[in-house]
Amino acid sequence: MKTIFIFILLISSLVASEYKSKVAGVAPVNNSLYIKECGACHFAYQPGLLPSNSWKKMMSNLESHFGADATLAQEDFVAISQYLEQNSAEKAYAYKRSYKIANSMRDDGTIIAISKTPYFIKEHKGIPKKYIEQESVKGLFNCIACHTTAQKGIYSERDILIPNYGRWDD
Amino acid sequence: MKNLLIPAIIASLSFGSVIENYLTDLKNEVIKEKPNFKSFDIKRGEEIFTSKHIGKKGKEISCSSCHGVDLTKSHENFFTAKVIEPLSPNTNKKRLTQKKEIDKWLKRNFNDVYNREGTPKEKGDVLSFIMSK
Repeated sequence: MKTIFIFILLISSLVASEYKSKVAGVAPVNNSLYIKECGACHFAYQPGLLPSNSWKKMMSNLESHFGADATLAQEDFVAISQYLEQNSAEKAYAYKRSYKIANSMRDDGTIIAISKTPYFIKEHKGIPKKYIEQESVKGLFNCIACHTTAQKGIYSERDILIPNYGRWDD
Repeated sequence: MKNLLIPAIIASLSFGSVIENYLTDLKNEVIKEKPNFKSFDIKRGEEIFTSKHIGKKGKEISCSSCHGVDLTKSHENFFTAKVIEPLSPNTNKKRLTQKKEIDKWLKRNFNDVYNREGTPKEKGDVLSFIMSK
């Protein structure tokens, strides 16, 4: 009986660690308008990657969105702003990355680039420039280039595959 | 019911497609300024599409930087590497079917490449070029 119990415990712990890697670090995007409008030009970043003040500030200047015109029709602007607001990092504390990003912020939302948030900077610190600046990645904004499961909101280390270089292990 | 349906069908057919209406509206705008304006020009549209300019981000780009030279093929956004589906409405049936989308992208992309909005004539020329591909 005891051995069976230990066996079950062992199996369940294995299953648990397997399961853990499948849990999203941020809530996956579930808004088709957001995917259509924002995902047309770049990876559809999960709202849980920035706090609401940052999203608000970003949305207030879509005329020059990281240098590009990303203006929206009024009704789409309202709907997307609302989606970002309701799903921002501090509203999604159950998700590990959202929690860490929100808590790493040292200002009240002047940072509008996910790649400039303290948690993000810390997590990407040791990566050689040549990995990031190569043509098939282009920059830190291109999550999906290396995080193979980014679309599911999973940014775990085991799912990283850097183009032309392979797995990342730090 | 039938008596209502048939005129409705005839009316919808006679209205033409979204892009035809769009071009007619643009043409009417051009005529307001230039009463002897005849038609949009594919060649001028090609020039608008392929010529390089210092864009909004301060880099030299053209429409082709993101949409490619062959509009029947997909291409990558010059800045973000995101794949953009073919622009040619002959290849990609979704293109030029919604006024809202045409409005949005013409506004944005002229601003991004030319650092200003397009004139009705420029928009008509470039749309005619895209339609010819």
